[in-house]
Amino acid sequence: MNELLREYLPVLIFIIVAAGLSGIMVIASLVLARQKPDSEKLSPYECGFEAFDDARRQFDVRFYLVSILFIIFDLEVAFLFPWAVSLSNIGMFGFWSMMIFLGVLTIGFIYEWKKGALEWE
Amino acid sequence: MWEITLTHYLTVAAILFTIGVFGIFLNRKNVIIILMSVELILLSVNINLVAFSSFLGDMVGQVFAMLVLTVAAAEAAIGLAILVVYFRNRGSIAVEDLNVMKG
Amino acid sequence: MAELNLHAALPEIWVAVSAMVLLLVGAYTGDRAMRLIGLLSMLVMGVAIVAMLGIDVSTVPQLAFNGHFIVDRFAVFAKVLALIAAMASVWMSFSYAEREGMARFELPLLMLLATLGMMLMISANDLISLYVGLELQSLALYVTAAIRRDTVKSTEAGLKYFVLGALSSGMLLYGASMIYGFVGTVSFAGLSTALSGATEPSLGLIVGLVFLCAGLAFKISAVPFHMWTPDVYEGAPTPITAFFSAAPKVAAIALFTRVLVDAFGGLTPQWQQIIFAVSVASMLLGAFAAIGQRNIKRLMAYSSIGNIGYALVGLAAGTPQGVSGLLFYMAVYVPMTLGSFAVILAMRQKGQMVEEIADLSGLAKSQPWLAHIFAAILFSMAGIPPLVGFFGKWMVFAAAVNQGLYVLAVIGVVASVVSAYYYVRVIKVMYFDEAVTAFDRVDGSLKLVLASSLAVVVIGILFINPLQNSAIAAAASLFPE
Repeated sequence: MNELLREYLPVLIFIIVAAGLSGIMVIASLVLARQKPDSEKLSPYECGFEAFDDARRQFDVRFYLVSILFIIFDLEVAFLFPWAVSLSNIGMFGFWSMMIFLGVLTIGFIYEWKKGALEWE
Repeated sequence: MWEITLTHYLTVAAILFTIGVFGIFLNRKNVIIILMSVELILLSVNINLVAFSSFLGDMVGQVFAMLVLTVAAAEAAIGLAILVVYFRNRGSIAVEDLNVMKG
Repeated sequence: MAELNLHAALPEIWVAVSAMVLLLVGAYTGDRAMRLIGLLSMLVMGVAIVAMLGIDVSTVPQLAFNGHFIVDRFAVFAKVLALIAAMASVWMSFSYAEREGMARFELPLLMLLATLGMMLMISANDLISLYVGLELQSLALYVTAAIRRDTVKSTEAGLKYFVLGALSSGMLLYGASMIYGFVGTVSFAGLSTALSGATEPSLGLIVGLVFLCAGLAFKISAVPFHMWTPDVYEGAPTPITAFFSAAPKVAAIALFTRVLVDAFGGLTPQWQQIIFAVSVASMLLGAFAAIGQRNIKRLMAYSSIGNIGYALVGLAAGTPQGVSGLLFYMAVYVPMTLGSFAVILAMRQKGQMVEEIADLSGLAKSQPWLAHIFAAILFSMAGIPPLVGFFGKWMVFAAAVNQGLYVLAVIGVVASVVSAYYYVRVIKVMYFDEAVTAFDRVDGSLKLVLASSLAVVVIGILFINPLQNSAIAAAASLFPE
C-alpha cells in the first residue's frame, strides 16, 4: 500500500503547489490592487451573454465565425499531448514533424489574420 | 456482476451510428440537426476504433481515432461556414427550404 | 528513418509546400492576384507531373512513410490524369470567375489543395491515409461548390454536397473501423495477406466492406448513392462543375480500385456482386434519367453517372484486363467531359450564362465550329466508332465478356444505345432547330481546351495502342504475379 501511495506523491506535491500559487495570487490581488467593484464587473461574464437569460435567443453570427476559427486550432492540440508525452522516445524526427505541423497551422493563422477574420467589427 | 465486453461497445456504437443516419434522413426541420447527426456518426466510429484498439492491444486504432477527431472538427467548421453563407442568402436553414434545385 | 523514403512523395510535398506559399502570396496581395495565383497553381501541377514521371516505379513500387503511401505505375497513371484534368479546370475558370464576380484567389488554391488530396487518395496504402486524402479532397471541394457565396444556388449546392459528402465519409469510416476490428490491421498489404487464406470471412468484415463500398460509391456518384450529383452539378459554378466531373472522379475510382483489388483481392467474389449491381444501376439510371433533362449541366450529371457505371464494368470483371479497361475508359472520359464543359462555358448570350439545352438551337449556323466540336464530343461519348469513346467502352465490355459477365456487357450496350438517344437529341437541337439568340464570342482560353479535346476525340484513335499499353502496365502493378 505504501508503494502505491509513494507513486502518487508527485500528484500531491502538484496539488499543494497549485493550490498555494493560486491562493497567493488571490490574496496578492486583494492586498495590492485597488478594488472598485461595479455591477458590470461583478457579473459572471463581463462581455457576451447575460448569464441567466432565455437560452433560445438569437445571437450574433459573429460568435459563430469565432467559434469556427477556434475549433480548428483547439482540436489540433489533440496531437500535441501524445507528442509531448512520447517526445523522449521519438527523437529529433518526432520533434521536427511537430514543428512542421505547427508551421502549417501558423500559415493558416497568418491567412485568417490577413483576411481580417479575427476583427470583430 | 456485469462485465463490459467488446460487444457492448460495438452495440453502443452501432446504435449511435443508426441514430445519426436516421437523424439525417428523417429530420425535416433544421440543417443544424444534420450537422449534429454527422458528428454523432463520426463519434460512433471513434467508439468503435478505440474499443477495437483496446481489445486488439494495438495502438493504430487510437491513432486513427485521433485523426478522425481532428478531421471531424475541420469538417464541422466547413459545414457551419457554408451554412452561415447559405443563411445569408436564403434567410432560412430549414431542410424543406433546400429546394431551389430539384430533379 | 530508412523507411521514410521521402523522394517517392516528392510531388505531393512539392504541391503542399507550393500551395502554402501561394496562400501567403494571396493573403498579402489580395484577389487581384487571382489570375497570377491560378497560373502558378497550374505551373505547380505541371511540375508535379514531371516530378511524378521521374520516380522510378518500373520494377517495384516505391513505399514511403513506413508503407502508408505507395507509388506504383497505377498511381502514376491515375495521378497524371487527375493533374491534367485539374490543370484544365483551373485554366477554364479564369475568365468565368472574372466575369461572374467570383475572382477570389482562394479558388485556384482550393482546387490545388483538392488535387493534393486526390494525389494522396490515389497513393493511399492504408485506411488511415485513404481517409485523410479523401477528406482533404472533399473539404476543399465543398468550399469550391459554394464559392459564389452571394447566390442561393451555389451555396445550396455546397450545402447539399457537404451534407451528403459528410454522411458518405461517415459510412466509409464506419466500414473502415469494422475492417480494422475484424482483421486487426489497416494497411492494404496486411489486409491482403490476412484475407488471402481460404477461410470464410467473418460477418463483421463483410459489413465493413459493404459500408466502405457505400462510402466510396458516394464519392464516385454511383447509383444508389448518386442523388447529390444533379443538384450539385447544376448549382455549382460551371468551371467548378467541370472540375467535379473530371479530376475527383478519376481519383475516387482509382482509390476504389486499389482498395478492392489490392486490399480485398481475397474477397473478390463478395465485392464483385456489389460492383455488378452498382454498375448496372448506374448505367441504366444514367441512360434513362437523362432523357427528360432540359438543363445541360443536369444532363452532364446523369451522363457522368452513366459513365461511372461503364467504368465500373471493368472493375466488376476484377481482372487485370478489366482494370486496364477502366483506366483507359477514364483516360478518354476526362478529355470528353472537359470538352463538353468548355462548350457549356461558351454558352453565353449577351453576357449572361445560359444552361438550357434549348439555348443551343441553331448553333451550327451561328458558330459552326463550336457545334462541330460539341457534336464530335457527344458522338464520342455515345460510343460511335471511330471516335475514342467507342474504344473505352469496347475495352471494359470485352473484359466483362472474358470473365463470363455477359449480362453486364449486354446491359451496358443497351444503356449505351439509350444514352446515344439523348446525346443525339442535343446534336439535333444544334443542327436542325431554329436559332434563337447567337452566343457571344468564345474566350481564347476555352478555344485551347476545345481544340485539345477535339484532338483527343478525333485523332486519339492513332494513340490507342500506347495508351492501352500504359494502362495495361498500370493495371498489372495492382495484381500480384
